[in-house]
Amino acid sequence: MAKIIIDNEAFECRDGISVLQAALDVGKQVPHYCYHPGLSVVASCRLCLMEMKMPHPKTREMGWAPKLMPSCQTPVRDGMEVRFNTEKVEDNQKNCMEFFLLNHPLDCPVCDQAGECHLQDYSFEHGRSESRMVDQKTKNPKKDIGPDTLLYSDRCVLCTRCVRFTEEITGTSELGLVNRGSRAEIDVFPGVPLDNPLQGNVVDLCPVGCLLDKNFLFKRRVWELEGADSICPGCATGCAIRVDHADEKVYRLKPRFNPGVNDWWMCDEGRFGYEYVHDAKRVTTPVVRRGKDPHTPVWHEVAEICRFRLTEHVREHGAASVVAVLSPFMSCEEAWLLARFVREVAPESALVMGPVPIEGEPQRFPTGVGEADAKFTILSEKCPNRRGIEMILEAAGGEVLSFETFVERAGAGDFSGAWIAGGYPKPWVEKNVGKLAAKFSLLVVQDLFENELTTAAAVVLPARAWVEREGCFVNAGGKVQPFNRAIRSAGGGWHDGQYLHAVAGFDGLYNVGRVRELMAATMPAFENVQSAPLKPAHAH
Amino acid sequence: MAAYEPVLLRNRGVEGSTSLKVYESRGGYQSFKKAIKMTPDELIEEVKAANLRGRGGAGFPCGVKWSFLPKDRKRTLLCVNADESEPPTFCNRVLMEHDPHQLIEGTIIAGYATQAQIAYIYLRVEFHEQFHILQKAVDEAYAAGYLGKDIGNGYKLDIYLHRGAGAYVCGEETGLIESIEGKRGEPRIKPPFPAIEGLFRMPTVVNNVETLSNLPHIIERGAAWFTGIGPGHSSGPKLFCVSGPVKKPGCYEGPMDITVRELIDRDDFGGGMVSGKKVKAVFPGGVSMGVLTADELGMKMDFDDPRNYGLLGLGTAAAVVVDESVEMRMVLRNLARFYGTESCGQCTQCREGTGWMHKIATRIAEGAGRLEDLDILLETARNMGMMPGLSICGLPDGATYPIETIVKKFRSELEESIASQPQGRSDLVLSVLN
Repeated sequence: MAKIIIDNEAFECRDGISVLQAALDVGKQVPHYCYHPGLSVVASCRLCLMEMKMPHPKTREMGWAPKLMPSCQTPVRDGMEVRFNTEKVEDNQKNCMEFFLLNHPLDCPVCDQAGECHLQDYSFEHGRSESRMVDQKTKNPKKDIGPDTLLYSDRCVLCTRCVRFTEEITGTSELGLVNRGSRAEIDVFPGVPLDNPLQGNVVDLCPVGCLLDKNFLFKRRVWELEGADSICPGCATGCAIRVDHADEKVYRLKPRFNPGVNDWWMCDEGRFGYEYVHDAKRVTTPVVRRGKDPHTPVWHEVAEICRFRLTEHVREHGAASVVAVLSPFMSCEEAWLLARFVREVAPESALVMGPVPIEGEPQRFPTGVGEADAKFTILSEKCPNRRGIEMILEAAGGEVLSFETFVERAGAGDFSGAWIAGGYPKPWVEKNVGKLAAKFSLLVVQDLFENELTTAAAVVLPARAWVEREGCFVNAGGKVQPFNRAIRSAGGGWHDGQYLHAVAGFDGLYNVGRVRELMAATMPAFENVQSAPLKPAHAH
Repeated sequence: MAAYEPVLLRNRGVEGSTSLKVYESRGGYQSFKKAIKMTPDELIEEVKAANLRGRGGAGFPCGVKWSFLPKDRKRTLLCVNADESEPPTFCNRVLMEHDPHQLIEGTIIAGYATQAQIAYIYLRVEFHEQFHILQKAVDEAYAAGYLGKDIGNGYKLDIYLHRGAGAYVCGEETGLIESIEGKRGEPRIKPPFPAIEGLFRMPTVVNNVETLSNLPHIIERGAAWFTGIGPGHSSGPKLFCVSGPVKKPGCYEGPMDITVRELIDRDDFGGGMVSGKKVKAVFPGGVSMGVLTADELGMKMDFDDPRNYGLLGLGTAAAVVVDESVEMRMVLRNLARFYGTESCGQCTQCREGTGWMHKIATRIAEGAGRLEDLDILLETARNMGMMPGLSICGLPDGATYPIETIVKKFRSELEESIASQPQGRSDLVLSVLN
């Protein structure tokens, strides 16, 4: 730990970081554009300049150096003294803001970044209220640089974060600088669009409204959005994300800092992979079929119906005839509640790990690096909670089957009562699985979309998308990560946790914290589950 | 006063001066043979003793620069800065055109002193003819065994010529390094300095053509001879360029004790103004150092005196004379345009500041200036540059000095031209605030 003095105040800070990062860590508001903790330092925006005490070149006496120093480029040293609260530093910030806005179109009313724009913020804090430039602005062009991204170079501040991202994190180097002076702009090479699997991060990195996400373009003003801390369910990496939503609709996903898991980034597959949430074809209401007439029960009857039907089945066919398939899209809490219920009603029942979707090979970045050097990995396991379900199954004990064994034994008629949890965003019921429906005299299915199982099931329960639920997932690295609910369930009504809580026989409102406490009694991994990060590591 | 005997330009005008044969016949490569028998440390000490200050513009002592190289380095690279891009400057060009072997010999001596195995000569792209002259000389030197494997004392050196792509900023040493690496010419943040981590992340020395051309003579005649030429802190022969409406524009050599007036008027230099022209202003060190008025021509062309006249330094010692028929607002626009297009665009203040100054200067030149524009120019000039710590390289300092000195020293003329500009040109002002 280095001890440094910032603005006359002593702080302890981590070794090896820059003065800027140290100042940000202790809550100082130091404006900066080009600096980003996940990227190399270029010290080109010149906003974070500070004054520093240095030995006089002749007398060696310590005093404030006449030159300003870039705080992003200066590493902390024990005993150093710096200051940001002086006229010199503030004058530079003010001048910089005037320079940044000289050729900026000031089109905030039609800019997606407005409201979360660091040109707006810094101008408000450090800039002047009117421009002194009366000349025609230099207007750099708006460009379509890839399938998902636009580049409005007239709004660019040339911080080059995006360029460095494609060089250092993805290793694809699609972006570069062309031209000089105030004509300098970010561009792609002709015919080579920005289309790497992590390209969406450049939009997040852009501190201004230059890089824009086509999927979010003109959809919503950002101040109308609310954010919910969540975990991406796209693969087993388990990136920490924020779900930005308004009016029960998800507008965009943004990565949250999560050291060692996704750092500051997320992949496009995860970022844009939420479309199914608002698919009109989703199952939104529970359906009960007895005889031929399906009907929709009111929500508070659902638990009782499920309990009654399964108890009845066990009485008629025995507990060993019951099987429950837990989905790797369920939260740990939901899986635990379902397992608990099934084992309570049918103690000799079999529990099954649902199919784990695998697509291709893991993609590591920068491209071409091995596992050890990867800065970001998109895993081929396309579900968020295989590890979590395995933990639940292990703790539940008794008969635990793989999905293949289940299909085989169910096909042979070993089970007549089944509870199958789905919740896969993509169609998952293969022909051989669909055929099993006929083998069960009682079939309860939880799923997102209609399929051969739901059409045959005695009870269909709508599975909810992860943004409509809460709980925790365990990622491939074994990290237990909680996610919060962002929006209400499609079509209204209860979400999986709520109805499973009631099915499992608990009274009152569903409270994930309370469920997790109960789980922690046998599974200590669920004690004190914290959302990452505990402290934001970076202002923007 | 005895006539000055040219050192660096001694072969200019000699028939076939670019050929190895003629160069050798005039004592060429003898210094190399002498130097290769010395140790690198002895060489560095000799150059330090000569107080050879860098001729590229900053005047940093060459020997001291070499001694920044880490002692335990495994490889060293040498870059020769021949990206002579400063307006009115053409001393390096003359050296390469007339005496390429002098540069090659200097490069070999510097390479041996720094134990560099490879030297890159970085030429600005416009040097087509000079490139071919130099390449031919390098080929000759290889054939004669002055370059290549074991050229003496177990030392080997390869020289590669590298041509730029037309950027002023590549004359800045780290911009030059980036450009040789095949990257966009943008100066690097320092530290690390090139001596520690330069070209291809290896310890690197960057020296100017003229600096290196001095080396054979220092080795041949000794440091004491060198320090005997010119004033104390600015010793050794120096090339001066003079251009503009003088009778004999060109590149001349002399000790650094002459004045700007002498440079213009003396018969062995500019030879006086062409008839009917009067000096109005002089940019004595390349335009980036700033301007002198006709009253300030007593300035000495050495490393120290320019500061006394509000200039940035000696620069390239290339004087361009502006005569009375030229309006300063036109000069202002011309210079502002140069820096506006040559800023690399990395640092905010320089990228936007030079562009803004260009716009303002254009407006003043077009007859739509406002009096407050002059203050904005001065303020903008104060708000950029490496000296106050606001930028990565020195380009914005060079951009602000000419603008600032023109506005300060010729303010009344500019004010007058703004006041007397014809009505109706306010169409150039987009939004009039006052």
